[in-house]
Amino acid sequence: MTRVVVSGLGVVSPYGVGAKTFWAGLARGDCAIRPLTVIDTEGFRSRIAAEVPAEVLPTLGVSRRRSRADRIALAAAREALAEADLTPADRANTGLFVGAVGGGMLEGEEWYCEEARTGRLSPRLRALRSILPVSHAESLAWRLRLGGPRETVVMACASGAASIALGADMIRSGGTPLVLAGGVDAITRICFMGFNALKLLDPEPCRPFDRGRRGMSIGEAAAFLVLEDAEHCRARGARVLGELLGAGMTTDAHHVTAPHPEGEGMIRAMAEALAAGDRDPADIGYVNAHGTGTPQNDRVEALALARVFGEGRVLVSSTKSLVGHTMAAAGSVEAAATLLTLQHGLVPPTANLREPDPDVPFDCVPGCARPVELRTALSNSFGFGGQNVSLVFGR
Amino acid sequence: MTQKEILDELKALIVERLKFDPRRAADMTAETTLPKGLEGSLGLDSLDFIELSVAMEERFGIVIDETESLTDEFLSLDSLSRFVLSKVK
Repeated sequence: MTRVVVSGLGVVSPYGVGAKTFWAGLARGDCAIRPLTVIDTEGFRSRIAAEVPAEVLPTLGVSRRRSRADRIALAAAREALAEADLTPADRANTGLFVGAVGGGMLEGEEWYCEEARTGRLSPRLRALRSILPVSHAESLAWRLRLGGPRETVVMACASGAASIALGADMIRSGGTPLVLAGGVDAITRICFMGFNALKLLDPEPCRPFDRGRRGMSIGEAAAFLVLEDAEHCRARGARVLGELLGAGMTTDAHHVTAPHPEGEGMIRAMAEALAAGDRDPADIGYVNAHGTGTPQNDRVEALALARVFGEGRVLVSSTKSLVGHTMAAAGSVEAAATLLTLQHGLVPPTANLREPDPDVPFDCVPGCARPVELRTALSNSFGFGGQNVSLVFGR
Repeated sequence: MTQKEILDELKALIVERLKFDPRRAADMTAETTLPKGLEGSLGLDSLDFIELSVAMEERFGIVIDETESLTDEFLSLDSLSRFVLSKVK
Protein backbone atom coordinates (compact mmCIF):
# COMPACT_ATOMS: atom_id res chain seq x y z
CA MET A 1 0.00 0.00 0.00
CA THR A 2 1.11 3.57 -0.67
CA ARG A 3 2.79 5.10 2.36
CA VAL A 4 1.84 8.68 3.14
CA VAL A 5 4.40 10.97 4.75
CA VAL A 6 4.29 14.56 5.97
CA SER A 7 6.72 16.85 4.15
CA GLY A 8 5.49 20.25 5.30
CA LEU A 9 3.86 21.80 8.34
CA GLY A 10 2.45 25.27 9.00
CA VAL A 11 0.62 26.66 12.02
CA VAL A 12 -0.84 30.00 13.07
CA SER A 13 -1.93 29.59 16.68
CA PRO A 14 -2.72 31.66 19.76
CA TYR A 15 1.05 31.64 20.34
CA GLY A 16 1.65 33.44 17.04
CA VAL A 17 3.00 32.55 13.61
CA GLY A 18 4.83 29.38 12.72
CA ALA A 19 5.16 25.76 13.74
CA LYS A 20 8.27 26.61 15.79
CA THR A 21 6.40 29.23 17.82
CA PHE A 22 3.54 26.76 18.27
CA TRP A 23 5.85 24.04 19.54
CA ALA A 24 7.71 26.41 21.86
CA GLY A 25 4.40 27.37 23.50
CA LEU A 26 3.29 23.75 23.89
CA ALA A 27 6.67 22.69 25.26
CA ARG A 28 6.60 25.48 27.83
CA GLY A 29 3.06 24.52 28.78
CA ASP A 30 1.88 28.12 28.31
CA CYS A 31 -1.88 28.43 28.62
CA ALA A 32 -2.88 30.96 25.92
CA ILE A 33 -6.48 31.27 27.13
CA ARG A 34 -7.12 34.92 28.08
CA PRO A 35 -9.91 37.54 28.18
CA LEU A 36 -11.62 37.58 24.79
CA THR A 37 -11.24 40.79 22.75
CA VAL A 38 -12.47 39.92 19.24
CA ILE A 39 -16.14 39.97 20.24
CA ASP A 40 -18.14 41.49 23.08
CA THR A 41 -18.83 38.94 25.83
CA GLU A 42 -20.70 41.14 28.32
CA GLY A 43 -23.03 38.98 30.43
CA PHE A 44 -21.73 35.60 29.23
CA ARG A 45 -20.97 32.60 31.40
CA SER A 46 -17.46 32.53 29.96
CA ARG A 47 -15.51 35.58 28.75
CA ILE A 48 -12.21 33.98 27.80
CA ALA A 49 -10.70 32.30 24.75
CA ALA A 50 -7.39 31.61 23.04
CA GLU A 51 -7.08 34.26 20.31
CA VAL A 52 -4.45 34.70 17.66
CA PRO A 53 -2.73 37.83 19.06
CA ALA A 54 -3.94 41.07 17.44
CA GLU A 55 -0.39 42.22 16.72
CA VAL A 56 0.27 39.06 14.69
CA LEU A 57 -2.41 39.59 12.03
CA PRO A 58 -0.82 42.59 10.24
CA THR A 59 2.47 40.66 9.97
CA LEU A 60 1.00 37.80 7.93
CA GLY A 61 1.39 39.55 4.55
CA VAL A 62 -2.28 38.94 3.80
CA SER A 63 -4.78 41.69 2.96
CA ARG A 64 -7.05 42.59 5.84
CA ARG A 65 -9.90 42.59 3.35
CA ARG A 66 -9.77 38.82 3.61
CA SER A 67 -11.61 37.22 6.51
CA ARG A 68 -9.68 36.69 9.75
CA ALA A 69 -9.93 32.95 9.12
CA ASP A 70 -8.58 33.29 5.55
CA ARG A 71 -5.71 35.41 6.80
CA ILE A 72 -4.47 32.83 9.28
CA ALA A 73 -5.22 29.97 6.86
CA LEU A 74 -3.14 31.54 4.09
CA ALA A 75 -0.20 32.14 6.41
CA ALA A 76 -0.26 28.59 7.80
CA ALA A 77 -0.66 27.04 4.34
CA ARG A 78 2.21 29.13 2.96
CA GLU A 79 4.49 27.95 5.73
CA ALA A 80 3.62 24.30 5.06
CA LEU A 81 4.17 24.63 1.30
CA ALA A 82 7.45 26.51 1.80
CA GLU A 83 8.77 23.80 4.10
CA ALA A 84 7.81 21.09 1.59
CA ASP A 85 9.71 23.12 -1.03
CA LEU A 86 7.28 22.38 -3.86
CA THR A 87 7.89 23.60 -7.41
CA PRO A 88 5.12 25.41 -9.30
CA ALA A 89 4.64 22.17 -11.27
CA ASP A 90 4.16 20.22 -8.01
CA ARG A 91 1.64 22.81 -6.82
CA ALA A 92 -0.30 22.59 -10.05
CA ASN A 93 -0.97 18.98 -9.11
CA THR A 94 -1.44 19.39 -5.34
CA GLY A 95 -4.82 18.53 -3.85
CA LEU A 96 -6.42 20.65 -1.16
CA PHE A 97 -8.52 19.39 1.77
CA VAL A 98 -9.73 22.08 4.16
CA GLY A 99 -11.54 21.42 7.42
CA ALA A 100 -13.84 24.37 8.01
CA VAL A 101 -16.97 25.34 9.88
CA GLY A 102 -17.10 29.06 10.68
CA GLY A 103 -15.86 30.36 7.32
CA GLY A 104 -15.79 34.17 7.27
CA MET A 105 -18.73 34.35 9.66
CA LEU A 106 -17.01 36.85 11.96
CA GLU A 107 -16.96 39.45 9.17
CA GLY A 108 -20.46 38.45 8.10
CA GLU A 109 -21.66 39.10 11.63
CA GLU A 110 -19.93 42.49 11.67
CA TRP A 111 -21.48 43.40 8.32
CA TYR A 112 -24.94 42.48 9.58
CA CYS A 113 -24.50 44.26 12.93
CA GLU A 114 -23.37 47.42 11.17
CA GLU A 115 -26.44 47.41 8.95
CA ALA A 116 -28.71 46.70 11.92
CA ARG A 117 -27.12 49.53 13.89
CA THR A 118 -27.02 52.21 11.20
CA GLY A 119 -29.97 51.18 9.05
CA ARG A 120 -27.71 51.49 6.00
CA LEU A 121 -26.13 48.84 3.84
CA SER A 122 -22.49 48.48 4.87
CA PRO A 123 -20.01 49.08 2.04
CA ARG A 124 -17.87 46.16 3.22
CA LEU A 125 -19.42 43.79 0.73
CA ARG A 126 -16.26 41.69 0.59
CA ALA A 127 -17.36 40.30 3.96
CA LEU A 128 -20.27 38.48 2.37
CA ARG A 129 -18.16 36.89 -0.33
CA SER A 130 -16.10 34.84 2.10
CA ILE A 131 -18.82 33.89 4.55
CA LEU A 132 -19.15 30.22 3.55
CA PRO A 133 -16.79 27.52 4.85
CA VAL A 134 -15.87 26.62 1.24
CA SER A 135 -14.43 30.10 0.70
CA HIS A 136 -11.15 29.16 2.43
CA ALA A 137 -10.43 26.51 -0.18
CA GLU A 138 -11.11 29.04 -2.93
CA SER A 139 -8.74 31.60 -1.39
CA LEU A 140 -6.03 29.02 -0.76
CA ALA A 141 -6.23 27.39 -4.17
CA TRP A 142 -6.23 30.69 -6.03
CA ARG A 143 -3.56 32.41 -4.02
CA LEU A 144 -1.23 29.43 -3.72
CA ARG A 145 -1.93 28.04 -7.18
CA LEU A 146 -2.96 24.59 -6.10
CA GLY A 147 -4.39 22.77 -9.07
CA GLY A 148 -5.27 19.29 -7.81
CA PRO A 149 -8.57 17.99 -6.45
CA ARG A 150 -10.18 20.21 -3.82
CA GLU A 151 -12.58 19.46 -0.99
CA THR A 152 -13.98 21.27 2.04
CA VAL A 153 -14.64 18.96 4.96
CA VAL A 154 -17.35 20.11 7.34
CA MET A 155 -17.38 17.68 10.26
CA ALA A 156 -17.65 19.96 13.28
CA CYS A 157 -14.72 19.59 15.66
CA ALA A 158 -13.36 16.61 13.70
CA SER A 159 -13.06 18.59 10.42
CA GLY A 160 -9.31 19.22 10.59
CA ALA A 161 -8.51 15.58 11.35
CA ALA A 162 -10.96 14.31 8.72
CA SER A 163 -9.36 16.52 6.06
CA ILE A 164 -6.03 14.80 6.78
CA ALA A 165 -7.59 11.31 6.70
CA LEU A 166 -9.40 12.04 3.43
CA GLY A 167 -6.39 13.77 1.87
CA ALA A 168 -4.29 10.69 2.61
CA ASP A 169 -6.97 8.51 1.00
CA MET A 170 -6.78 10.68 -2.10
CA ILE A 171 -3.04 10.00 -2.30
CA ARG A 172 -3.51 6.26 -1.68
CA SER A 173 -6.17 6.03 -4.35
CA GLY A 174 -3.71 7.51 -6.86
CA GLY A 175 -5.59 10.77 -7.34
CA THR A 176 -2.50 12.89 -6.70
CA PRO A 177 0.84 12.37 -4.93
CA LEU A 178 0.55 15.65 -2.99
CA VAL A 179 -2.18 17.09 -0.78
CA LEU A 180 -2.30 20.19 1.40
CA ALA A 181 -4.62 19.17 4.24
CA GLY A 182 -5.63 20.93 7.41
CA GLY A 183 -8.21 23.12 9.01
CA VAL A 184 -9.00 26.64 10.04
CA ASP A 185 -11.42 28.46 12.29
CA ALA A 186 -11.51 31.99 13.66
CA ILE A 187 -13.54 32.97 16.68
CA THR A 188 -17.09 33.97 15.74
CA ARG A 189 -20.07 35.18 17.72
CA ILE A 190 -22.25 32.31 16.57
CA CYS A 191 -19.77 29.71 17.79
CA PHE A 192 -18.95 31.41 21.09
CA MET A 193 -22.54 32.27 21.88
CA GLY A 194 -23.74 28.82 20.84
CA PHE A 195 -21.39 27.00 23.18
CA ASN A 196 -22.07 29.58 25.87
CA ALA A 197 -25.82 28.92 25.55
CA LEU A 198 -25.22 25.17 25.71
CA LYS A 199 -23.39 25.84 29.01
CA LEU A 200 -20.35 24.06 27.62
CA LEU A 201 -17.83 26.87 28.29
CA ASP A 202 -15.76 26.90 31.46
CA PRO A 203 -15.64 30.43 32.96
CA GLU A 204 -12.01 29.64 33.84
CA PRO A 205 -9.40 28.30 31.40
CA CYS A 206 -10.50 24.73 30.59
CA ARG A 207 -9.19 21.86 32.74
CA PRO A 208 -9.43 18.64 30.76
CA PHE A 209 -9.52 15.45 32.87
CA ASP A 210 -9.77 17.47 36.10
CA ARG A 211 -12.42 16.45 38.62
CA GLY A 212 -13.73 20.04 38.73
CA ARG A 213 -13.81 20.66 34.94
CA ARG A 214 -16.74 22.74 33.76
CA GLY A 215 -16.39 22.87 30.02
CA MET A 216 -14.22 23.95 27.15
CA SER A 217 -12.38 27.12 26.18
CA ILE A 218 -12.69 28.22 22.59
CA GLY A 219 -9.62 29.00 20.51
CA GLU A 220 -8.76 29.92 16.95
CA ALA A 221 -6.01 28.69 14.67
CA ALA A 222 -5.04 27.33 11.30
CA ALA A 223 -2.80 24.33 10.70
CA PHE A 224 -1.85 22.62 7.45
CA LEU A 225 0.19 19.56 6.58
CA VAL A 226 1.67 18.69 3.23
CA LEU A 227 0.88 15.01 2.78
CA GLU A 228 2.86 13.17 0.17
CA ASP A 229 3.25 9.76 -1.39
CA ALA A 230 6.45 8.50 0.31
CA GLU A 231 7.96 7.42 -3.02
CA HIS A 232 7.28 10.82 -4.56
CA CYS A 233 8.84 12.52 -1.55
CA ARG A 234 11.94 10.32 -1.72
CA ALA A 235 12.32 10.83 -5.47
CA ARG A 236 12.46 14.60 -5.11
CA GLY A 237 14.74 14.38 -2.08
CA ALA A 238 12.41 16.21 0.30
CA ARG A 239 12.64 16.03 4.09
CA VAL A 240 10.18 13.73 5.89
CA LEU A 241 8.70 15.17 9.10
CA GLY A 242 6.72 12.06 9.99
CA GLU A 243 4.40 9.44 8.58
CA LEU A 244 0.63 9.17 8.71
CA LEU A 245 0.40 5.46 9.46
CA GLY A 246 -3.35 5.10 9.63
CA ALA A 247 -6.67 6.81 10.14
CA GLY A 248 -10.06 5.71 11.44
CA MET A 249 -13.35 7.52 10.84
CA THR A 250 -16.64 6.48 12.44
CA THR A 251 -20.03 7.88 13.38
CA ASP A 252 -21.94 7.28 16.62
CA ALA A 253 -25.36 7.86 15.06
CA HIS A 254 -26.52 8.40 18.62
CA HIS A 255 -27.22 12.02 19.63
CA VAL A 256 -27.03 15.60 18.32
CA THR A 257 -24.43 16.76 20.84
CA ALA A 258 -23.65 13.99 23.32
CA PRO A 259 -21.14 11.23 22.58
CA HIS A 260 -22.29 7.60 22.78
CA PRO A 261 -22.29 6.87 26.55
CA GLU A 262 -19.90 3.91 26.19
CA GLY A 263 -17.72 5.62 23.58
CA GLU A 264 -18.64 3.01 21.00
CA GLY A 265 -17.78 5.17 17.96
CA MET A 266 -14.58 6.49 19.58
CA ILE A 267 -13.38 2.95 20.25
CA ARG A 268 -14.03 1.92 16.64
CA ALA A 269 -12.23 5.01 15.30
CA MET A 270 -9.11 4.28 17.36
CA ALA A 271 -9.20 0.56 16.54
CA GLU A 272 -9.58 1.29 12.81
CA ALA A 273 -6.71 3.77 12.84
CA LEU A 274 -4.45 1.23 14.59
CA ALA A 275 -5.47 -1.55 12.19
CA ALA A 276 -4.94 0.70 9.16
CA GLY A 277 -1.46 1.52 10.43
CA ASP A 278 -0.79 -2.14 11.29
CA ARG A 279 -0.01 -1.17 14.89
CA ASP A 280 -1.02 -2.70 18.22
CA PRO A 281 -2.27 -0.54 21.10
CA ALA A 282 1.00 -1.33 22.89
CA ASP A 283 2.95 0.40 20.08
CA ILE A 284 1.37 3.75 20.92
CA GLY A 285 3.30 5.81 23.47
CA TYR A 286 1.13 8.90 23.54
CA VAL A 287 -2.44 9.97 22.80
CA ASN A 288 -3.20 13.60 22.01
CA ALA A 289 -6.75 13.43 23.36
CA HIS A 290 -9.79 15.22 22.04
CA GLY A 291 -9.92 16.29 25.72
CA THR A 292 -12.29 19.24 25.51
CA GLY A 293 -12.75 19.65 29.25
CA THR A 294 -16.51 19.09 29.12
CA PRO A 295 -17.74 16.66 31.78
CA GLN A 296 -19.17 14.30 29.14
CA ASN A 297 -16.39 14.17 26.57
CA ASP A 298 -13.57 13.53 28.98
CA ARG A 299 -15.45 10.83 30.88
CA VAL A 300 -16.44 8.96 27.73
CA GLU A 301 -13.07 9.44 26.02
CA ALA A 302 -11.33 8.00 29.09
CA LEU A 303 -13.68 5.00 28.94
CA ALA A 304 -12.88 4.51 25.27
CA LEU A 305 -9.13 4.89 25.84
CA ALA A 306 -9.29 2.32 28.63
CA ARG A 307 -11.09 -0.11 26.33
CA VAL A 308 -8.54 0.32 23.53
CA PHE A 309 -5.27 0.63 25.47
CA GLY A 310 -6.03 -0.68 28.95
CA GLU A 311 -6.17 1.54 32.04
CA GLY A 312 -3.02 3.59 32.53
CA ARG A 313 -1.26 1.93 29.57
CA VAL A 314 -0.61 5.09 27.55
CA LEU A 315 0.29 8.72 28.23
CA VAL A 316 -2.58 11.09 27.48
CA SER A 317 -2.69 14.87 27.29
CA SER A 318 -4.99 17.55 25.97
CA THR A 319 -3.35 20.46 24.16
CA LYS A 320 -6.77 22.16 24.19
CA SER A 321 -5.84 23.19 27.72
CA LEU A 322 -3.05 25.28 26.13
CA VAL A 323 -4.49 26.70 22.89
CA GLY A 324 -8.20 26.18 23.46
CA HIS A 325 -10.59 24.23 21.28
CA THR A 326 -9.85 25.58 17.83
CA MET A 327 -12.98 23.98 16.34
CA ALA A 328 -12.55 23.02 12.67
CA ALA A 329 -8.80 23.57 13.02
CA ALA A 330 -8.47 21.42 16.16
CA GLY A 331 -7.87 18.11 14.39
CA SER A 332 -5.06 19.54 12.27
CA VAL A 333 -3.60 21.64 15.10
CA GLU A 334 -3.43 18.49 17.21
CA ALA A 335 -2.03 16.45 14.32
CA ALA A 336 0.73 19.07 14.15
CA ALA A 337 1.20 18.85 17.93
CA THR A 338 1.41 15.05 17.71
CA LEU A 339 4.02 15.16 14.92
CA LEU A 340 6.10 17.69 16.86
CA THR A 341 5.76 15.58 20.03
CA LEU A 342 7.20 12.58 18.15
CA GLN A 343 9.97 14.69 16.63
CA HIS A 344 11.07 16.23 19.92
CA GLY A 345 10.43 13.27 22.24
CA LEU A 346 8.59 15.61 24.59
CA VAL A 347 4.92 15.25 25.57
CA PRO A 348 3.11 18.58 25.97
CA PRO A 349 1.24 18.83 29.26
CA THR A 350 -2.41 19.15 30.17
CA ALA A 351 -2.52 22.63 31.70
CA ASN A 352 -4.79 23.58 34.61
CA LEU A 353 -5.08 19.93 35.70
CA ARG A 354 -4.83 20.01 39.48
CA GLU A 355 -7.19 17.34 40.78
CA PRO A 356 -7.23 14.35 38.44
CA ASP A 357 -10.69 12.87 37.88
CA PRO A 358 -10.74 9.35 39.43
CA ASP A 359 -12.84 8.28 36.42
CA VAL A 360 -9.85 8.99 34.17
CA PRO A 361 -7.41 6.14 34.84
CA PHE A 362 -4.50 7.67 32.90
CA ASP A 363 -1.42 9.79 33.49
CA CYS A 364 -2.55 13.01 31.79
CA VAL A 365 0.83 14.76 32.11
CA PRO A 366 -0.33 17.61 34.36
CA GLY A 367 1.45 20.95 34.43
CA CYS A 368 4.71 20.56 32.55
CA ALA A 369 5.97 18.74 29.48
CA ARG A 370 7.64 15.37 29.90
CA PRO A 371 10.54 13.92 27.90
CA VAL A 372 9.58 10.49 26.53
CA GLU A 373 11.14 8.49 23.73
CA LEU A 374 8.30 7.88 21.29
CA ARG A 375 7.94 6.12 17.96
CA THR A 376 4.19 6.19 17.41
CA ALA A 377 1.35 8.38 18.70
CA LEU A 378 -2.36 8.76 18.15
CA SER A 379 -4.50 11.90 17.91
CA ASN A 380 -8.24 11.90 18.60
CA SER A 381 -10.85 14.33 17.27
CA PHE A 382 -14.49 13.84 18.12
CA GLY A 383 -17.05 16.20 16.63
CA PHE A 384 -20.59 17.01 17.68
CA GLY A 385 -23.09 14.50 16.40
CA GLY A 386 -20.67 11.63 17.05
CA GLN A 387 -18.19 12.25 14.22
CA ASN A 388 -15.04 10.46 15.31
CA VAL A 389 -11.62 10.59 13.70
CA SER A 390 -8.38 9.05 15.00
CA LEU A 391 -5.01 9.50 13.31
CA VAL A 392 -1.89 7.41 13.98
CA PHE A 393 1.44 9.08 13.26
CA GLY A 394 4.94 7.62 13.25
CA ARG A 395 8.30 9.31 13.44
CA MET B 1 9.12 52.61 -5.92
CA THR B 2 8.52 54.94 -8.84
CA GLN B 3 5.15 55.50 -10.44
CA LYS B 4 6.39 53.68 -13.54
CA GLU B 5 7.33 50.60 -11.47
CA ILE B 6 3.95 50.67 -9.75
CA LEU B 7 2.22 50.94 -13.10
CA ASP B 8 4.06 47.84 -14.37
CA GLU B 9 3.18 45.93 -11.20
CA LEU B 10 -0.47 46.91 -11.59
CA LYS B 11 -0.48 45.59 -15.14
CA ALA B 12 1.07 42.35 -13.90
CA LEU B 13 -1.57 42.03 -11.16
CA ILE B 14 -4.35 42.58 -13.69
CA VAL B 15 -2.99 39.67 -15.74
CA GLU B 16 -2.14 37.36 -12.82
CA ARG B 17 -5.00 37.97 -10.45
CA LEU B 18 -7.80 39.15 -12.73
CA LYS B 19 -6.79 36.70 -15.48
CA PHE B 20 -6.59 39.28 -18.25
CA ASP B 21 -5.08 38.26 -21.56
CA PRO B 22 -1.37 39.24 -21.41
CA ARG B 23 -1.61 40.51 -25.00
CA ARG B 24 -4.27 42.94 -23.92
CA ALA B 25 -2.12 43.97 -20.98
CA ALA B 26 0.65 44.89 -23.38
CA ASP B 27 -1.69 47.47 -24.95
CA MET B 28 -2.47 49.11 -21.59
CA THR B 29 -1.16 52.62 -21.07
CA ALA B 30 -1.32 54.97 -18.10
CA GLU B 31 -4.43 56.50 -19.64
CA THR B 32 -6.29 53.19 -19.94
CA THR B 33 -9.47 53.44 -17.88
CA LEU B 34 -10.66 50.60 -15.65
CA PRO B 35 -14.42 50.51 -14.83
CA LYS B 36 -16.81 48.85 -17.17
CA GLY B 37 -19.20 51.13 -19.03
CA LEU B 38 -16.46 53.58 -20.10
CA GLU B 39 -15.49 53.65 -23.77
CA GLY B 40 -12.23 51.71 -24.31
CA SER B 41 -11.89 50.69 -20.64
CA LEU B 42 -10.68 47.34 -19.31
CA GLY B 43 -14.27 46.72 -18.19
CA LEU B 44 -13.60 45.82 -14.55
CA ASP B 45 -16.70 45.03 -12.51
CA SER B 46 -17.25 45.26 -8.74
CA LEU B 47 -15.80 41.80 -8.05
CA ASP B 48 -12.72 42.65 -10.12
CA PHE B 49 -12.20 45.78 -8.01
CA ILE B 50 -12.41 43.73 -4.81
CA GLU B 51 -9.86 41.22 -6.14
CA LEU B 52 -7.62 44.02 -7.36
CA SER B 53 -7.78 45.76 -3.96
CA VAL B 54 -6.79 42.55 -2.17
CA ALA B 55 -3.99 41.97 -4.68
CA MET B 56 -2.73 45.55 -4.29
CA GLU B 57 -2.74 45.34 -0.50
CA GLU B 58 -0.75 42.12 -0.59
CA ARG B 59 1.65 43.19 -3.36
CA PHE B 60 2.42 46.69 -2.09
CA GLY B 61 1.88 46.10 1.64
CA ILE B 62 -0.61 48.96 1.84
CA VAL B 63 -4.00 49.25 3.54
CA ILE B 64 -6.93 50.59 1.56
CA ASP B 65 -9.83 52.04 3.55
CA GLU B 66 -12.92 49.99 2.76
CA THR B 67 -15.39 52.65 3.80
CA GLU B 68 -13.99 55.40 1.60
CA SER B 69 -15.30 55.93 -1.92
CA LEU B 70 -12.33 55.54 -4.27
CA THR B 71 -14.10 55.90 -7.61
CA ASP B 72 -11.68 58.60 -8.80
CA GLU B 73 -8.60 56.68 -7.69
CA PHE B 74 -9.71 53.50 -9.48
CA LEU B 75 -10.60 55.39 -12.69
CA SER B 76 -7.43 54.73 -14.68
CA LEU B 77 -4.04 53.07 -14.35
CA ASP B 78 -2.55 56.55 -13.99
CA SER B 79 -4.81 57.58 -11.10
CA LEU B 80 -4.44 54.17 -9.46
CA SER B 81 -0.65 54.17 -9.65
CA ARG B 82 -0.56 57.70 -8.15
CA PHE B 83 -2.85 56.48 -5.36
CA VAL B 84 -0.53 53.53 -4.62
CA LEU B 85 2.52 55.82 -4.78
CA SER B 86 0.97 58.06 -2.11
CA LYS B 87 0.39 55.00 0.09
CA VAL B 88 3.83 53.38 -0.25
CA LYS B 89 5.75 56.63 0.36
